Amino acid sequence: MPIKIQIKALRKVYDTPERKVHALENINLDIEDGEFLCLVGLSGCGKTTLLNILAGFVEITSGQILMEGKPLTEDYDKGVVFQEYALFPWRTASKNVEYGLEVRRVPVDKRQQIARELLRLVRLEEFADFYPHNLSGGMRQRVAVARALAFDPQVLLMDEPFGALDAQTREELQELTVDVWQKTRKTVVYVTHNLSEAVYLGTRVVVFLPRPGRIREILTVTLPRPREALSPEFIDIQRKLDHLIRET
Amino acid sequence: MPTSETAAAPLNLDLGPPKKQVVSIWVKLRAVYPFLAALAGWEVAAWYAQRRHNLGQLFPTLEDIFIRAWELVAGPLMKALQEEPSLGLLDYFYYLGQSEILLHTLATGWRLLVAFAIGSSIGVAIGILMGRYSFWESFFVPLLAVLLPIPALVWVPIATIWFGLGNHAVIIVVSFAVFIPIAFGVWTGVKTVNPIWIRAAQSMNAPKIMIFRTVVLPGSLPMIMSSLRVGMARAWRAGVAAEFFSGIDTGLSAAIFLHGQQFLDIAFMMVALAVLGGFGYGLERVLFQPIERRTLVRWGMMEAMGAQGRRA
Repeated sequence: MPIKIQIKALRKVYDTPERKVHALENINLDIEDGEFLCLVGLSGCGKTTLLNILAGFVEITSGQILMEGKPLTEDYDKGVVFQEYALFPWRTASKNVEYGLEVRRVPVDKRQQIARELLRLVRLEEFADFYPHNLSGGMRQRVAVARALAFDPQVLLMDEPFGALDAQTREELQELTVDVWQKTRKTVVYVTHNLSEAVYLGTRVVVFLPRPGRIREILTVTLPRPREALSPEFIDIQRKLDHLIRET
Repeated sequence: MPTSETAAAPLNLDLGPPKKQVVSIWVKLRAVYPFLAALAGWEVAAWYAQRRHNLGQLFPTLEDIFIRAWELVAGPLMKALQEEPSLGLLDYFYYLGQSEILLHTLATGWRLLVAFAIGSSIGVAIGILMGRYSFWESFFVPLLAVLLPIPALVWVPIATIWFGLGNHAVIIVVSFAVFIPIAFGVWTGVKTVNPIWIRAAQSMNAPKIMIFRTVVLPGSLPMIMSSLRVGMARAWRAGVAAEFFSGIDTGLSAAIFLHGQQFLDIAFMMVALAVLGGFGYGLERVLFQPIERRTLVRWGMMEAMGAQGRRA
């Protein structure tokens, strides 16, 4: 697989008057085109910081990020799905999905057509005209996924998108996420603290260690899909991850 | 051996179809009761005042007030009908349009709406400026904080000296009274827009101006709406008070003042007061509530702000 994003000697230090926090120290990571990369680790290990850097919300202290060989610009096309519900309450599901297309000045009929297709992809086509407050938490996050994919971004960045959902809904959405990824073949970077989720979703799992935030190991998960969360192999990998994130 | 637990009949959770909520007319009329009680109280007091203290027209009964109200509404029409009993439909409208109370209401109404339009435009503009740019924030906040507690009424003498007696002074004072709470409200609204919405828009590379138009404005609408409400209430009060002292002779409160001072016409004053109250309530019903129903309620943003579900 060709390399999509190259992260070289990345360093991020939050320098506040009270204290200095080494959020990320010497991160080197190659993200392959079309892979599903999960970032796991205990809280404070810098996984969300790395995602926010990739999303352009946080500036780096030093190091380099290359997108297909060229330095990353702030306004490259990325789709972000947040942990909190980030849909615009004053727009219907369909209008939310269209937002990124409006930014790119796609004509109205084309916009609506794309929104319809994406809502079908996340199995919500009959809810296109619903306002977010009339949708359940799981449905809102599905709309958020559709919104993030609407303008055909280069990468999809997801920050614990299903963290606030109940276990059953989360499983349903994990299955849907794999389905969407297989259909769109997007490069996905997915932050989670849920190890089972990481093993279920990822082609590779990057294990972070805290203080300073650094990469401990990168595991490749080769289990065939759909993955069975109760199979011995699955649990083996999960156990291994569990040991790794607790190392000091 | 079967235990008593297993033998017990399972709880019947199926309660059948939900009972249809029947709201009786008496419940629906609840809002009317206090007014009926007040009217009854008035009638008793008026009756007592006239019998025992011989106050006569100084404490008119409801009947007197309704007769006066009829005169005020349909006086010109009745007079015209006496002279010329076969009036056309348009003539009816013409003479109803001549009614005294309507003239006063319109006079107060247009001054108020013009002043509200001016004051709220300035208030919204300054509020947005304050919410977006820290320079203007630190510039305006102290100024407004000092101006806010000053009752609008005390500006009336100054305004009448500078701008002369009349409409100008009222409109300027009311605009001034309106813009301060609106600027504060809009400022707060713009500052407290949920940052996750802005981040989401940024992540889709929306330019700043578009984020402002499509995220910040609708996102701060709950605060903007409530500040417009406060502004309207202030406008109403300031406008009514300013009319007293600006040498104006048309307008509900100007007329209350004149009739009270010159003719001791209590019935007229009560009618004008009722119109004042009704007008304010009407503005709420025809202006603010429909806008809210179409926006905030529909988007679920009232609930998001912690409001209980309510029927508008």
